[in-house]
Amino acid sequence: MSCIDFAPQPRDARFRVKITQEFVAAGLRRARYVTNERVETALYLALALEKPLLIEGPAGAGKTEVAKVLAEMLATELVRLQCYEGLDEARALYEWNYQKQLLRLQADEQEGLGWEQLTQHIFSRDYLLERPLLKAISAARKVVLLIDEIDKSDEEFEAFLLELLSDFQISIPELGTVRAQERPAVVLTSNRARELSEALRRRCLHLFIDFPGIEQERRILELKIPDLDAAMAGAAARFVNSLRKLELTKQPSIAETLDWVRALVQLGVKEIDQAAVRATLGLLLKHEGDRALVESKAAAIIPRARQAH
Amino acid sequence: MRQALLGFIARLREAGVRISVAESLDAAHAFAASGLERTRTREALAASLIKDEADRPVFDREFDLYFSATKSRPVEPRRGRNLQGMTGQHGQPSESGAEQPQRKADEPPEHEKTVKPSSRKEQGDKAGPQNQERDAQAQAERAASERHENQAGAAAARSREAETKLFSAYTDLDYEQALKALEPLKRRFRVRLGRRLRLARRGRIDIRRTIRAGIQRGGALIDLRMRTRRPRHVDLLVLADISGSVRYASSLMLGLAAGARECFRTVHSFVYVDRLAEAGFERGYLHMAPMLDFYARSDFGRVLAELVAARRHLLNRTTLVVILGDGRNNRKSARADLLRQVSRRCRAVVWLNPEEPERWGTGDSAIPAYAREVDEMIACRNLRELEKSLVRVA
Repeated sequence: MSCIDFAPQPRDARFRVKITQEFVAAGLRRARYVTNERVETALYLALALEKPLLIEGPAGAGKTEVAKVLAEMLATELVRLQCYEGLDEARALYEWNYQKQLLRLQADEQEGLGWEQLTQHIFSRDYLLERPLLKAISAARKVVLLIDEIDKSDEEFEAFLLELLSDFQISIPELGTVRAQERPAVVLTSNRARELSEALRRRCLHLFIDFPGIEQERRILELKIPDLDAAMAGAAARFVNSLRKLELTKQPSIAETLDWVRALVQLGVKEIDQAAVRATLGLLLKHEGDRALVESKAAAIIPRARQAH
Repeated sequence: MRQALLGFIARLREAGVRISVAESLDAAHAFAASGLERTRTREALAASLIKDEADRPVFDREFDLYFSATKSRPVEPRRGRNLQGMTGQHGQPSESGAEQPQRKADEPPEHEKTVKPSSRKEQGDKAGPQNQERDAQAQAERAASERHENQAGAAAARSREAETKLFSAYTDLDYEQALKALEPLKRRFRVRLGRRLRLARRGRIDIRRTIRAGIQRGGALIDLRMRTRRPRHVDLLVLADISGSVRYASSLMLGLAAGARECFRTVHSFVYVDRLAEAGFERGYLHMAPMLDFYARSDFGRVLAELVAARRHLLNRTTLVVILGDGRNNRKSARADLLRQVSRRCRAVVWLNPEEPERWGTGDSAIPAYAREVDEMIACRNLRELEKSLVRVA
């Protein structure tokens, strides 16, 4: 089986950067992603060792965001594969473009070409529909491949991913093996809807991202909402943090916190008090039961948030 | 350095973390790439060695112990054991003072720069006299975020422990933990079951989807798509023993079964000790009518008689009967013949037994007699096995 070259251009030296910890830290700052040493080190290692990075953590803690930030940091493209039940190779890897092949056959028939030439024609790159995985592997430069919510896919698909993640190559029976010129930076995310296999875990570096602490969330708020005053940011961060300590069906995510604080700013609220919280709670909590629980405890939660600063 | 790393990995393995050879190779690369700064080394090793957040607290503890005491020297096993004794003390801020002189005694002072002190209290002490306010603040922040993450790790560890703890060793406290772990498990159960039911390999052909798939092949209908057989005509009947010996397992199973309600046409749950009672499971609490005497001596034979006499209409060809109990009948008559009747009338009868298989049939256990009459007898000794066997049964 031959090894074919999908990207005949020479390696582009402009895009090759030296991966250092400082580079990663600076990149995260530039992308305005507030984080801690844990994430920084894991990202650095994933790049330096060229290993896939498996990110786990609660929904809405910023797992997918890491991949986006990584792409921004490397100034490259983000190739995203959203996993779902029943995702198969044809959707994830490649597919032959049957319609186009048929057209070609009909056109060739009139020219009277032989069998050899015919098959050579229709099984070439032109008739291949690239899906995300093949696209990431065959790209001329390093891209970021995000395999989102891998736990939603079936076990078979996970097993199929193993070849890709360890060797960064894909075999296409009619064409040969496609080997990555530049290994893509691979990020997998999981919500633990099911346990991932040991084999997959073994091949990845592992990172657990939890909801940010009060201080970290305050920095996120200040960074993303420029016209927010510091006291308000602190109070909002403390309030959301205390919400996450309650037994809620769905804990408020970072994105929801941002939406909520934006709404408060929009409404001209200067201080987080009972009335303001009651009016805007729907932005943070999307379940009726959660809302009732928080409203019943509002008296206990909100003064605590205020008195602390 | 390599020696130190290998020693560390050996200790982690000893502590019960599974680490493959490939992972230790990764760890060596990560170690080399991460430089000498302590927090970086810690995160680098964690990323390459710890693949389950539940193992993280163990890792943190071992890391603190191992890399604070021995930096450039390979550990001797005797010393390792000595350190292990201190494990319990670690983490209490008051102990850190006692720990420090010991370390100072057998460590050259120039290490102080690369080896940052392991406890947070010490960090504060050190930064103070050097007037590095900013540094101190950053460290406090980091410590806070670290604590925060360790909480998540501890929570993960707890839920895993709850999933794998043997039912026979349960206490009320464990049951509380298990109830917390039940919620995600319920979701997982539903997802698994739903996925399996959707993947129809047989059944009627779905014309619309087949034609749709055929377009890809120029209209040739090669890929046949099947219509899933929904709704399934399966009625679930759950019979759970709630006498002292197995009550935890039973109520957890009723909770799981309640989560999968939509996969069945109807679900009837019953609980029994020496009599039968209809049961429901809401918000983690079991309620039943009529109220049963928990301290009665369990008698499954009588329960079977009641079932066949009063609930005969529920037993038919579409009924899947799941029984959970240990079959300890207090030497009363087992009435396995009634179970045979039930088994003949119903689609299937499955017995889930929370007892260890070694103990089946010992003492007053009537399991061997019942096992002959049911379609399957499955051991489910912890929450994880319980979920797995329910998926298989349904």
